Amino acid sequence: MDIPAMRANFAKAAATGDEAPLYFYSHLFLSHPETREMFPVSMAHQRDRFFTALGDVVTRVDDLDALVPILRQLGRDHLKFGVLPAHYPAAGASLLATLEHFDPDWSPELAKSWAEAYDVVATVMLQGAEEAAGQPAWWDADVVGHERRTLDVAVLRIRPRARYDYLAGQSLSLETELRPRLWRYYSPANAPRPDGLIELHVKARDGGPVSSALVRSIGVGDVLRLGPPIGHLALDGESDRDLLLVAGGMGVAPLKAMVDQVARHGPPRRVDLFAGFRTAEQVHDRADLERLAQENPWLTVTLAVSDDPTSDLAQGGIADVVLRAGPWTSREVCVAGPGPMVEETVARLREHGVPPQRMSSEVFAPSRPGPSVDGEVTE
Amino acid sequence: MSSAANSFGNAERGLSPADLQQVRFSRASMLHPGYVDTEVDRVVHRAAEELARHIGEKAQLREQVRTLQAQLNGVPAHEPPSEQAVRILASAQQTADNYVAEAEQFSRQVTGEARAEYEEAVRLARENAGAIIQAAQEAAARLTGPAPAGPDRGGRSVAELEEQVAYLKAFGQACRTQLRSYLEALLSDVESEWGRADPAALPTAVRPPAQRAAPEGGPDRSTTFEANTTAEDPPAGGPADGVTAGTSARPAS
Repeated sequence: MDIPAMRANFAKAAATGDEAPLYFYSHLFLSHPETREMFPVSMAHQRDRFFTALGDVVTRVDDLDALVPILRQLGRDHLKFGVLPAHYPAAGASLLATLEHFDPDWSPELAKSWAEAYDVVATVMLQGAEEAAGQPAWWDADVVGHERRTLDVAVLRIRPRARYDYLAGQSLSLETELRPRLWRYYSPANAPRPDGLIELHVKARDGGPVSSALVRSIGVGDVLRLGPPIGHLALDGESDRDLLLVAGGMGVAPLKAMVDQVARHGPPRRVDLFAGFRTAEQVHDRADLERLAQENPWLTVTLAVSDDPTSDLAQGGIADVVLRAGPWTSREVCVAGPGPMVEETVARLREHGVPPQRMSSEVFAPSRPGPSVDGEVTE
Repeated sequence: MSSAANSFGNAERGLSPADLQQVRFSRASMLHPGYVDTEVDRVVHRAAEELARHIGEKAQLREQVRTLQAQLNGVPAHEPPSEQAVRILASAQQTADNYVAEAEQFSRQVTGEARAEYEEAVRLARENAGAIIQAAQEAAARLTGPAPAGPDRGGRSVAELEEQVAYLKAFGQACRTQLRSYLEALLSDVESEWGRADPAALPTAVRPPAQRAAPEGGPDRSTTFEANTTAEDPPAGGPADGVTAGTSARPAS
């Protein structure tokens, strides 16, 4: 495998922007029409993601140790799209055709390198898929509760029909029949329960096809399709260090799940949860959070608003509010919320003296679909 | 040739090697000598061999066709799609993408505008409510102020005054409730502060009776405290001060 040559060749295709992925998918659909139905009507975002993911693989191809777990996860995750082993060589052929099409200096050696590299990637992904052979490719889940909390936030309660294992803080991808083939990531707001219920907090994004449907069109009795859970935030199972949880907006969900985890399974530890919103009206889960704080003496919940001077909640940006209440230097810290909020909070806490290895964070970005190599998560 | 010889090679099944082998020619008479048996047998035998070979070859070819077909289905070894086809599909896909993007953009715009309008309406309503409350406070101050307006303003009839009295009573009640919850919050703050300093000293079953939020973090405490001190005055100073404290908390109640 001539990795520098492959990178140079890939750069030529990537330089064309949308052209190369457009060519790839058209080629794939023409040579294997049955693959078309695995994708949404609009391929625009899919195309971005595909080449980004491929670029990630290419840049890391000489670091297989790092790549292998990601690829396995990716292979596992692709099962939910209905991907079969036979589709891998099909995609490989179209990929080679694309790379050839955009490179005037294409050579048989390059073709051989790419074929080998693709073969490695496909093999690892297939292994990942096979490891999950005991599990369903996806889980159907019934919507058993749907509650509008604010103008654009709903809390959904869903019950998977088959056992669905996950950890507090993880997120899962889901698809609704109303928006076929558009998968989005959400974080359960509770730890796994004996009755299997999962609580999801969904904010309708302006023009967001899936989030709007989940908030405004889905109701009790509808069925969602879930992909396997993926990990981002996680509690250190060994540690019983006191926790500081800092949420911005919809980032409350995974952190509430962690509170639930401590409540259900321990170990006993102090937990301080801070949640920042713009206005008091947007605090979509206030009653439940306050109830948790009342029921559990080890928990405090501080709600803060940044743009609502008449509110009786704590005033100010969430990072300020958290730091005013410190010191936090001995805590294990989880931060979840919009990008700038997470960045600021993590930076300020580091300045404050919390060691980086004790902080984990997750950015909740306005949604974009499907699995990427880095498994991006959305609200 | 006997009937047996005639019937061989059933049209349905085609000619099988066995058919040939089983064929028997009738004996020739002394007057018209027939074929020499051995020659006929040899020919028949050769025909049978030939047929067997054909059948074998046919099976082999059928097998070969089957594997080729399987290869054709599994691997895109066949003709790749033409450049032209790829280009046509690509532009069709792009057209579809643009339509979807346009629809999303439109939806984004419409919901965005709707939200802005909603927020503006709520803001106006709040301001309006604030103005009404302030007007009511002023009216109340005038009424409870220096001296009753006197009978000369009998035009502002009893009914009107009664209405205002009822309003003020309700207001007083509201202030009292508000005040109580502030006090309770203060109490629970003190308790939690105490508890934080020495958790063991806290009575085990402490459940702050307040409906307000449980004790919150540091910075919030001072706000609560201030609010409470302001709210403590009114019983002496009249409802006006209490009203101010009340309005700020109103949206939450």
